[in-house]
Amino acid sequence: MEPLLPTTVVGSYSVPEWLERLKTEYYQRRISAQHLADIHEVAIKAAVKDQELAGIDIVSDGELRRDNDVDYFLARIPGVHIPQRAKTDYFDYYDAEVTRPLPDSPDTTLELANDFKFTRQLTQRPVKFSFTGPFSLSRRVRDGAYERPGDLVRALARRLNAEARALAAAGADFLQIDEPFLAGYPEHVELAVEAVNIVTENIDATWALHVCYGNRYARPSWEGHYDFLFPAVKAARVDQVVLEFARKGLDDLRLIRQHGWDKWLGFGVIDVKTTQVETPELVAERIRRALEYLPADRLMINPDCGLRHLPPEVARRKLRAMVAGVAAVRAELTGGDKP
Amino acid sequence: MDVDLRPVKKLRESAAARSALGPIIEAVCASPADLARLRVVCDWIQYKQNFREPVVARPIGTTDTEIAFDLRRCADIDVEASVKRALEDPGGVALEPWVPGRDSCIWRFNALYWQALSEWEQATGRQYEQSLPGGESDARNTEAAQELILELFRIWDELDARRALPDELYILELGVGNGNQARTWLDEFVQLDRRHGRDYYRRLRYLMGDYSPHVLERARQAVAHHAERISALVVDATRPSITLGFLAGKAFLVYISNVYDNLPTDELACIHGRTYQVQTQAFLTDDDADLIAGQFGLDRPAVPKLIDRLLRIGPGLLSESAPSQFPDPGQAVGFWRAVWDALRLRERYVPLEGLDSYQLTPDLTGEILHSLIEADGDVRMHVSNGALSSLTGTLPLLHPFGRVQCHDLFLTGSQQYRTGFYGPGKYDGSVVNWVNGPLLQLVASRRGFGVQFAPFRQRPGSNITTLTAQARD
Repeated sequence: MEPLLPTTVVGSYSVPEWLERLKTEYYQRRISAQHLADIHEVAIKAAVKDQELAGIDIVSDGELRRDNDVDYFLARIPGVHIPQRAKTDYFDYYDAEVTRPLPDSPDTTLELANDFKFTRQLTQRPVKFSFTGPFSLSRRVRDGAYERPGDLVRALARRLNAEARALAAAGADFLQIDEPFLAGYPEHVELAVEAVNIVTENIDATWALHVCYGNRYARPSWEGHYDFLFPAVKAARVDQVVLEFARKGLDDLRLIRQHGWDKWLGFGVIDVKTTQVETPELVAERIRRALEYLPADRLMINPDCGLRHLPPEVARRKLRAMVAGVAAVRAELTGGDKP
Repeated sequence: MDVDLRPVKKLRESAAARSALGPIIEAVCASPADLARLRVVCDWIQYKQNFREPVVARPIGTTDTEIAFDLRRCADIDVEASVKRALEDPGGVALEPWVPGRDSCIWRFNALYWQALSEWEQATGRQYEQSLPGGESDARNTEAAQELILELFRIWDELDARRALPDELYILELGVGNGNQARTWLDEFVQLDRRHGRDYYRRLRYLMGDYSPHVLERARQAVAHHAERISALVVDATRPSITLGFLAGKAFLVYISNVYDNLPTDELACIHGRTYQVQTQAFLTDDDADLIAGQFGLDRPAVPKLIDRLLRIGPGLLSESAPSQFPDPGQAVGFWRAVWDALRLRERYVPLEGLDSYQLTPDLTGEILHSLIEADGDVRMHVSNGALSSLTGTLPLLHPFGRVQCHDLFLTGSQQYRTGFYGPGKYDGSVVNWVNGPLLQLVASRRGFGVQFAPFRQRPGSNITTLTAQARD
């Protein structure tokens, strides 16, 4: 049974500089795919162990196999054409296009279920598995196939729905859709929600939807407020939204009350765009503020976004601070011993 | 023996350059040097004021030697005698130990120039802008300013339509000179804003950053009529985030004109597949040291000590502390100018134990240089440490829709290092080095920014290039 105010991560874990270099070596054809796969497995084991040692309740694989938030998926989706697969740097985006509609019943999968299974056998703790959502994926694809705007998004959503089905069959019970590009296109929020509902359709799992302002190169890609997300997101068939608050401030908590959000909130308490480590007291203070807007049994605690751009030691210290801050508030709520 | 003829364009254009080649080879062959361990390098040094004799010798590690010729001046000298002299014990009065280029005392001279600019200008009788090509800073070009401002209006209108426009609209200028750029820009802004009708001027925060309080004060006076919109901050251009951390993610425009070419830099070289750091040592020739000593009534050994004192306390205080030699600050500036004119650099190549062990900036190792330095044969290049540090410190200040615009002397392709000389030279009392554009481009790219170079359109034929950096993806 999960504790009150369960702690988790958004998805990605710190990518050490040596791993970045090895990933780039792969894209420049200096090491083999098999060697890189072996390296990834070792790195994932370490990432899971780091999270466990930090005291995270629900862990992830750190998304360490992924070169960025998009290409890992696009490169595996049948029908997405990527003319040039070598990269100068692993983190660069592919140039991807679709020239004809994606096949509705492809005979290959994205193999995400295997990724999940690998992580599942590493830990006794609950595992959250995240993948990039159809709207964000579509923003990195040149669409030469569909006449109606949004059809590519829907087609990608159907593909991800099949993948989610395989994940659930493999035992994944906590899935998260990441939409890091949505904040840049607030006028498309209804389309994005429609696509989310296609992804989650008939999948028996707890679903989270993560919307942030971007974290590419540890910088926000956009600025603004979460006003655009509401009330549209209320129509999403998900169990929680995972939002960033630490960097942006807590003003947008008002939207939870204003729009009567009655599901869970994944509450971002750690700023992933700075190497300055939060104190447990600051984390606790942020949580107390959130508790003014929704009850503890609907609050999950996480960083604002993935930890990928933080140095490993900073990531570890931030997670420990988050866990300690949560422990302090839990003690206040349950009357238990303070840490 | 390798012979590296870099100024290929000049070889076609200049009969003098071509005719120098024969005597150079004759002179080298007549020298006692081991020709199997000798490199000959020919440059065309475009700066009339520079740090080099027409012929210099540079040790490469402990076994080899490079003899470098300035083809522009070789026609007027006895090349054979110069080669012989270059290979002998160089003598002279050293002003520092061997150091990497960025740590040389020439940068202390450079800093002094900006700190004591008014004294220098008073002594020379001309403003520093007059020493720039074209006689004024390109920053004052109104057409360029208008173009930038209108682009900002377009972005702000779009953000405003999405209710994402911040209340305060930050513009940062790094290296403000005499304030003319800021005045031109703000005056144009007022005019265009009036026509645009959105009252952006009221929300504008124009930050002027410079490391010289004196320069800042002068610039502040130049824009006194915009006082409510202006803040002046002492900023080290190579470490902007120390002063400007509050600006992270907020600046819509960071404007930098003719700053990067004036920031400290090392040079690295790849010779026969091995990577070297170029170390330098500033010195005065014996003749120049004697001349300066005589001119100011000094013993020769006192000259380097007084130079060090000048660099520490400036000409005003030097005059106060040594009134017998320098009865007034003008005399001290005269000493300063005489030393600066005579100042030379000797160089040597010291092997680097791997680029990873070389620190480009405090946050960046030389690992990123592999593709530029070690990919394609022998090359020597600036690694623009100061400019890199400045750019990488500036990029985090940008709003997601912000940009850095920089007018400066940029190389735009690494191959240019094989065909030209790019510094150091002397511009009035300051140092100039062309900036390694491809390196800036590569480093910015690893931080998610696209860097574009374009000729400075408003002054055709200028060497000035416009760098624009914006978030990509």
